[in-house]
Amino acid sequence: MRVSVDAAKCVGHGRCYVLAPDVFGEDEQGHCVLLEADVPPELEDQARLGADNCPESAIRIG
Amino acid sequence: MGPPIVDPETGTVSLFDPEFARCPQPVYAELRRRCPVARAAFTESPVVSRYEDVVWALRHPEIFSSAVDTRLVLGTERPMIPQQIDPPAQTRYRKLLDPHFSRKRMAALVPEIRRHANALIDAFVDAGRCEFDEQFAIPLPCTAFLALLGLPADRLDFFLEIKDGIIRPQKGRDAMTLEQMKEVRVESGRKSYAFFEETLDERSAAPRDDLLSTLLRAEIDGERLTRSEILDICFLLLLAGLDTVTATLGCNVAYLASNPSQRRRLVEDPSLVPSAVEELLRWETPVTGVPRVAKRDVTIGDFEIKEGELVTLLLGAANTDDEHFPEAQRVDFARERNVHTAFGVGAHRCLGSHLARMELQVALEEWHRRIPDYRIEPGQTPRVSPGIREFMYLPLVWDV
Repeated sequence: MRVSVDAAKCVGHGRCYVLAPDVFGEDEQGHCVLLEADVPPELEDQARLGADNCPESAIRIG
Repeated sequence: MGPPIVDPETGTVSLFDPEFARCPQPVYAELRRRCPVARAAFTESPVVSRYEDVVWALRHPEIFSSAVDTRLVLGTERPMIPQQIDPPAQTRYRKLLDPHFSRKRMAALVPEIRRHANALIDAFVDAGRCEFDEQFAIPLPCTAFLALLGLPADRLDFFLEIKDGIIRPQKGRDAMTLEQMKEVRVESGRKSYAFFEETLDERSAAPRDDLLSTLLRAEIDGERLTRSEILDICFLLLLAGLDTVTATLGCNVAYLASNPSQRRRLVEDPSLVPSAVEELLRWETPVTGVPRVAKRDVTIGDFEIKEGELVTLLLGAANTDDEHFPEAQRVDFARERNVHTAFGVGAHRCLGSHLARMELQVALEEWHRRIPDYRIEPGQTPRVSPGIREFMYLPLVWDV
């Protein structure tokens, strides 16, 4: 599974790296940093949870 | 019975009705269904309530500006930074401030908040009763915030007085005229600027490892912040930091006091606390709405908003919209997808959201560990303020 983040949309809610800490990280400002662009099968549920909870719809899957 | 809170015939809503503050969800439903853009009673200003419309407006700061007339809203001389500034200037301030309020930084404050929560509970746990606002909800976040800013904790009462003077000038007084309220606001604003001027002078002379000293050193595009800019940031931090978590704690605990089965779920499974915090933010939405000013004529549905009109975006109504949230009227602590707008959406996402979440989680964990079973004192009616829904009188009792 592929994941991508639209950095222009991210404003640092931090839902992704709280709910899916193995897929998403944070930079100094608290904005999303992608840890795993190619998500292994065991992390797919986590990635989806993080993406679904982004209030800015900044995370794309697939 | 007074007049209805929502009057679909005229399309008006009384946002300052006490019943609306106490129980807003049915009012939101009526607004979304009957008048998705209503007009506020007295001010005539448009009030937007559907999720889709609220989020659209929040994502278009070039149409819905945050640069509202500050003198009308609060007793400030200049806009508060960065809340009342639009991008791109706002973005530069956020780049500077966000790192100081990041999730990582806030996590470091957990032990201190936990200790303080327990110290507060120690003071009343054996009495079997407390007035939640005064004895827990007000002191807990205020002390944390003062520490974060490097402000003296023994000045708590002074800050509370200023904050109330600006946000609720009528608190604890008999009826006031609008003119008197304005006077209290302006005077409180003046006192707060004077205090920060003095403290900034002290930090300039003797810098410390705190946020105020950092602001004095900070640069945007190679330029130091001006004294005015720092004061306008301080003023926002003071108001935002002292009020919103207090209000949220009251809303959450009032809900849990009145819904024993939901409370038991949390007590039995504290791992639900983080998602319960999100769900209660969605359901209660203590900051019911945010103001914007229309930069040009704009149409929402068939409602025409005119350039210059002050518009209220009702976050609480957006957060309970059935079109967006499955089973929106059900409070579900295990809700998997919860993209609520309680901290705003877009460029102005609440700067303190990570601080607030941390404080709320720690507070709910410690409270329920120490006082798992409690209720609103029988025969007593809580009092809730409008706008920012603070339970200003919330008497709780439990068995000892």
